[in-house]
Amino acid sequence: MFALPYIAFIRLHRAALDARRRVRTWQYYAYSVAAGLLAGLLVGFALFASYYMVLAGVWYLAAIIIAFFVVPPLQPVLQRHVLVPLGAVRTSFWIAHFVSMKDSDAFALCCAAWAHAGKPTGAGEAWIIERRDKRRPLGDAEIVVTAFLAAGRGDAATCRDLLRSLDLIVENHPNVREVAGEWLAVDAADRGAWGEIAASAAVARYPASALTFLIEGIAAARTGGAGAPGAGELRARWLLAPHRRVTLGLLPVDVAAEIPVRPAASEPPAETPPERPPLPRAVAAHLHLANRAANATGLALTVQAWDAALSDPATRDWLARRALELDAPLGAADRALRDVASDVTDELARLAEAAGLGAPPAHGLVGDALARRLRHGRLDALEAAFTRWAARRHDGAVRAPIDEWREFCALRTAYDAAATAGGLELRRLAFPHAYSTGNSMAVWLWNTRSEYALSHAISRWLLAEALTVGDAEAIDLCSRNCKLSVPTRTGTVKG
Amino acid sequence: MTLVENPFFVLGLSPDASRIEIEREAQKLLGMLELGFEAALTYTTPLGSRERTPEAVRAAVAALRDPYQRLLAELWARHAPASLDEAPPPPAAASSGLRKRLGWRP
Repeated sequence: MFALPYIAFIRLHRAALDARRRVRTWQYYAYSVAAGLLAGLLVGFALFASYYMVLAGVWYLAAIIIAFFVVPPLQPVLQRHVLVPLGAVRTSFWIAHFVSMKDSDAFALCCAAWAHAGKPTGAGEAWIIERRDKRRPLGDAEIVVTAFLAAGRGDAATCRDLLRSLDLIVENHPNVREVAGEWLAVDAADRGAWGEIAASAAVARYPASALTFLIEGIAAARTGGAGAPGAGELRARWLLAPHRRVTLGLLPVDVAAEIPVRPAASEPPAETPPERPPLPRAVAAHLHLANRAANATGLALTVQAWDAALSDPATRDWLARRALELDAPLGAADRALRDVASDVTDELARLAEAAGLGAPPAHGLVGDALARRLRHGRLDALEAAFTRWAARRHDGAVRAPIDEWREFCALRTAYDAAATAGGLELRRLAFPHAYSTGNSMAVWLWNTRSEYALSHAISRWLLAEALTVGDAEAIDLCSRNCKLSVPTRTGTVKG
Repeated sequence: MTLVENPFFVLGLSPDASRIEIEREAQKLLGMLELGFEAALTYTTPLGSRERTPEAVRAAVAALRDPYQRLLAELWARHAPASLDEAPPPPAAASSGLRKRLGWRP
């Protein structure tokens, strides 16, 4: 009887937190204050009751009250400030069960993985992996858990890639996404990628924790984006967020006067003095490019310089004259031009591949050869990777769902890198093979492996690509696949 | 043929050097390398110093005996700048430590 109001308060507290995850307006502050007040009341009542239990000599009842009524409202604080620094994997797991009703294992496993990342141990990782692998089919929580395990091993890049891949997963645990979004926001702030944070906030990619909300506000103020919070609002966000001592240093001194921080400009191209003749200019540009981190502008300038040098009559005259003076075989000058162009193309292709650069729009002995080389090399590598992936349907090699997901993510990254470097032309050439193999895998994962969210994610990606390249047949089929209802642990999601 | 392995740089000669000069310089360098003379252990290229070995010297002189190979070597050596300014290291996307201070690893 006396517990009923208490249970109502608990439900209200959770409702306030759930509502907060859906908004980024003034209501965010209202829900935060409501959740804080309700948590304070809950903890106050429970501590008051347990005090009287101790006075009455029934201390064990006091312990039960604290465990069941004080700990749940304080879970976010305990998790962040106690359990993560201690690396208390199992305690995090069990306490997190108190704060979620539906599929509570999902958030609990994420909290366990978060605690593991704070203080990694082999036993903790094995315990989490065992529990994660029991959960089928794959959903967003398993991906976040795997990402935090990677973070625990010090592999921030893998963690980042996996968390970003959640965009394609239809299963949605808001509290899991909130934690994932916070890691990504903190990681981007750590790298100084404020524009990335502002872009993510603009589309509300993840529910915002108090810390994420603050970082997004700082990012908006720094980048000068639309809807950037004023100084007062930023202070309010700072008050709501944890780690105030650290985040105080991030706050702009005067938000209105804050100069937008633009992304660092790429290194200026290795300009060579214009008075140099074409061949020395090409050699100098080539050496500069090889000796520094290659960028698109530097590559374009070098290719242009070589094309100009090798088609320059002065170069041909010099080669012909020297070939005669050296008593070189007949046709040596033309052969030397071809060999130099080939050597230069090889070297530039190697540099472009290493830096993930596309072929510059230059036409000449080097420009044309480089474009052909890069396009063919990337297409061949992509086709081979997609073929290997699809071949597993027939060779019986069954992998864990998370490994299937990681392989797809790796292929998607390679495809995106090639498409970015090669442009729409390469994208159009690469898509048909990616589509046929990807679609086969999506069907196999749905029908044979019952990995609905994974299959749906592949179809979503294929649909986005089909729309980009304008493949009508693929758009039609992928649209139908994406409209299928996807069974998830949070309910069936209509595509 | 990479620029740092260009025969003219390996032998420390100008692209105008005659065949006799090339042979003489190669013999001299091989002798100095055999005796371990410090001056002969490295050679200068536009991309910095490189280690000189007897094999590299023999390969360089053999390449320059072939008129076509010499033509290619001359094309690079004659038109290369004397040296490149030391380029600053590319800016690394290094961690500022904020992630750790905000309770997240790594």
